[in-house]
Amino acid sequence: MSLLDIKNLCIWYENEDHRQVVSDLSFQIQKGEFVGLVGASGCGKSSAMLGIMGLLPENSGFSCERFLFRGEHYEKKIETLRGKKIAMVFQDPSAYLNPLLKIGQQLTETIRCHKTCTKKEAKERAMELLSMAGIHSPETRMNQYPFEISGGMRQRVVIAIALACEPDLVIADEPTTALDVTVQRQILDLLKTISQRTKTAILLVSHDLGVIASVCDRVLVMQEGKIVEEGTANQIFYEPQNPYTMQLVEKAKAVMSVAKKKEKGVLVLESKDIGCKFRERLRWNKTCTREALRQISFSMYHGETFGLVGESGCGKTTLARILTGILSPDFGKLWSKGKVQMVFQDPYASFDPGYTIEKILLEAIPKQADHTKEVEKMLQLVGLKPEDRWKYPREFSGGQRQRIAIARALMSCPEILILDEPVSALDISTQSQILKFLDDIQQETGISYLFISHDLNVVKHMSQRIAVMYLGTFMEMGDTASIYEDPWHPYTKQLLSAILVPDPKKAHRRKKLIVKEILKQEEGTEKGCPFAGQCGYAMTRCHTEFPDFYQFEDRQVRCFLYSEEHTGRRRAGAPMISQI
Amino acid sequence: MIQYMIKRIVIGVLSLFVLVGITFFLTRAIPGSPFESSNVSGEVLEMMENEYGLNDPVIVQYGTYLLHVIQGDFGYSYENPSQSVTSIIAEFLPVTIMTGGLALLLAIVTGVSFGIWMVVSKQKIIQRALFSGTILGTGIPNFVLALVLIFVFGVKFHWLPVAGGSEWESYILPVCSLAIYPASVICRMTAHLYKEEMKKEYVVLAKAKGMQWERIVWKHVLRHIWLPLFNYLGSAAAFLLTGSFAIESIFTIPGLGSQFVHAISNRDYTLIMGLTIFMGTVVISIQVLVDLLGAWIDPKIRRSYEGQ
Repeated sequence: MSLLDIKNLCIWYENEDHRQVVSDLSFQIQKGEFVGLVGASGCGKSSAMLGIMGLLPENSGFSCERFLFRGEHYEKKIETLRGKKIAMVFQDPSAYLNPLLKIGQQLTETIRCHKTCTKKEAKERAMELLSMAGIHSPETRMNQYPFEISGGMRQRVVIAIALACEPDLVIADEPTTALDVTVQRQILDLLKTISQRTKTAILLVSHDLGVIASVCDRVLVMQEGKIVEEGTANQIFYEPQNPYTMQLVEKAKAVMSVAKKKEKGVLVLESKDIGCKFRERLRWNKTCTREALRQISFSMYHGETFGLVGESGCGKTTLARILTGILSPDFGKLWSKGKVQMVFQDPYASFDPGYTIEKILLEAIPKQADHTKEVEKMLQLVGLKPEDRWKYPREFSGGQRQRIAIARALMSCPEILILDEPVSALDISTQSQILKFLDDIQQETGISYLFISHDLNVVKHMSQRIAVMYLGTFMEMGDTASIYEDPWHPYTKQLLSAILVPDPKKAHRRKKLIVKEILKQEEGTEKGCPFAGQCGYAMTRCHTEFPDFYQFEDRQVRCFLYSEEHTGRRRAGAPMISQI
Repeated sequence: MIQYMIKRIVIGVLSLFVLVGITFFLTRAIPGSPFESSNVSGEVLEMMENEYGLNDPVIVQYGTYLLHVIQGDFGYSYENPSQSVTSIIAEFLPVTIMTGGLALLLAIVTGVSFGIWMVVSKQKIIQRALFSGTILGTGIPNFVLALVLIFVFGVKFHWLPVAGGSEWESYILPVCSLAIYPASVICRMTAHLYKEEMKKEYVVLAKAKGMQWERIVWKHVLRHIWLPLFNYLGSAAAFLLTGSFAIESIFTIPGLGSQFVHAISNRDYTLIMGLTIFMGTVVISIQVLVDLLGAWIDPKIRRSYEGQ
């Protein structure tokens, strides 16, 4: 007897066309299984999961031929399973926790709504759950509000809430999409541990094949509201049968490849020791300055792509703002040859919804008498039709909007284009289209890209050189291929070990990632290396001195392990090797 | 938090002084004299004005008045010299506070519950009836409404007393006619806020926890509704607690609103000033209270005052 047996689930929305977003979806989940559900965005994954939970919005219809849970029919009374037998973990933990309630209350109310117990018992159980979800000092956390803890911790809280009543099935809908790579690994490890320890079945929904490959035993592939293929992880990733699955796996593996090396062109941008300070208010009469950027030096050449990786909050976007001139640096020098333009993560938010595409594109350049040709040429360059210039941004899909955003940036013929997480909001097939298209544009116009992303695979695929950033400073910089093959800095190593590969066998061989919880930088530590608190190789010196950016041929690394005092005097021209 | 409070109170006191100044010069600008009447001849009038210092330059009068106020002395009513201004306020305040407070309470309870009902109700007829009710409630002035209520419940059906009296029944109609306008505004605000909040993700999570609808609304959604609602409630409370002249005159309730209007028409300078200061204090303290309640509900504001 399977735990969940669903046959011919249909879901439609009552808008003009009554299109079924999920049609005849049938699948089964066994007890204690870890199942992955993969599909492009908009294929009906989330609607199907909401349907199973009975959480569909009011304007939707739902029908199901068979809804068996532990052999019992639940077609008409799905609500009774919710929270108790089937629990759900959502994508964005910041939105799903009530900002006005303490974490403790949000947890205990779940327990108390299904079990009759005293407040004290519920509180004890809540603390137990929090420590199971990997949260240290649960007692303090219980008294905190969601905005006081980090994103990864919030997702742990949501997982703890899901586990509150020992459900038989947990549906995790894109649980790691909104999180950083290192946090993503930790959350996935946590889910795996939970499924092994408590024998809870987990249905993990994701568009990211790397996520699916790293934890799932069995995989369901969904396309346009239907399951097109089903099999063990190995079957799906190594011997896919369905053409759609093959295409998905191929695309995911293609992104894993390293970008081709290019000849160095003319220098187009140079920054020297850029620093930026922000003032933060501690109390009404006391402020402190926080260094958002520290000694950033790099240069970019004509026609190359320079990748910038790092966790969220490390200063990537601040640097991008300085390079475009939105912010001015407090220290250092910045020189660029031509115009610098920027493409944002969420293109739709960066458009005025009341402007036509033509008007959006023309905003970037000075007024001219005849601009029709230019607009048409630009739209053709980014793969849109010339007639599209009369449309409004809302009439386009996510991928098309990003094309328009790129077109707008290109209108003023910039020398450098800053791409701030340009594909993070897009699903895998649109992602590869946009990446391919960016490549084509670079071939044609010889523009240089500064590619910012937290997705290490995408950066690797796109850029010839990369810089790894941590808490406002570059930790390592050099050729993409050499850094990915042989990371020198302990932080780079930690970051790269968190990459998820769409390859289940490789994923299983990997060790668990252990990362110390990042606490707020303590006072007095800002003198030393920012990574010293978490570094396994940290020496006394690391806590008190800020390391230089040591250069060895075309690689640079900011770590005392590579200082002359540590490695000893070397012969001129002797190659440096990894010290870790 | 305490520092913030002190800052707010200091600003409040300063604005009170500005208010006192403006009102003082405005009352003196009203043509005529407090002692003007048909049976007082020119000489006596002159003498009385001299007695009360009304012939001094206005700025001197202002100075003396401020000095007295700082010492806590609001003076005696010109109209009724046996009563001090404070004793008049003390006499009429309880009635005003009671009608105003009851009206506010009624407005909050009915406004919030009808507001939620308006959204939740599946029947179109209820939704439309409530919505048109709120439009009428905000559109019709309260004295017209009071007359309609008197006509229906007092004159036609004889259910409720039409005016005055100390028994509790006589308060029903005035409280209702006072409450309808704020209740309608609160109802519409709540309906709008509720609709917006129910779309939020935390409600989905609460549902996924298996919580009942009532509990979700009570424990999660209402808090979010209170926050913006408090800002309106502040001004509504100030309006209700300082008394309404129209309603008080229609129902012959001895409240502050009618006192104020009488004082102005009689040019009873000290009473006007005393009532102005009192009402200013009420309005300012309600604003401080609203801010405090906001901080109490929103942890972000609270934590930012707690320092670390």
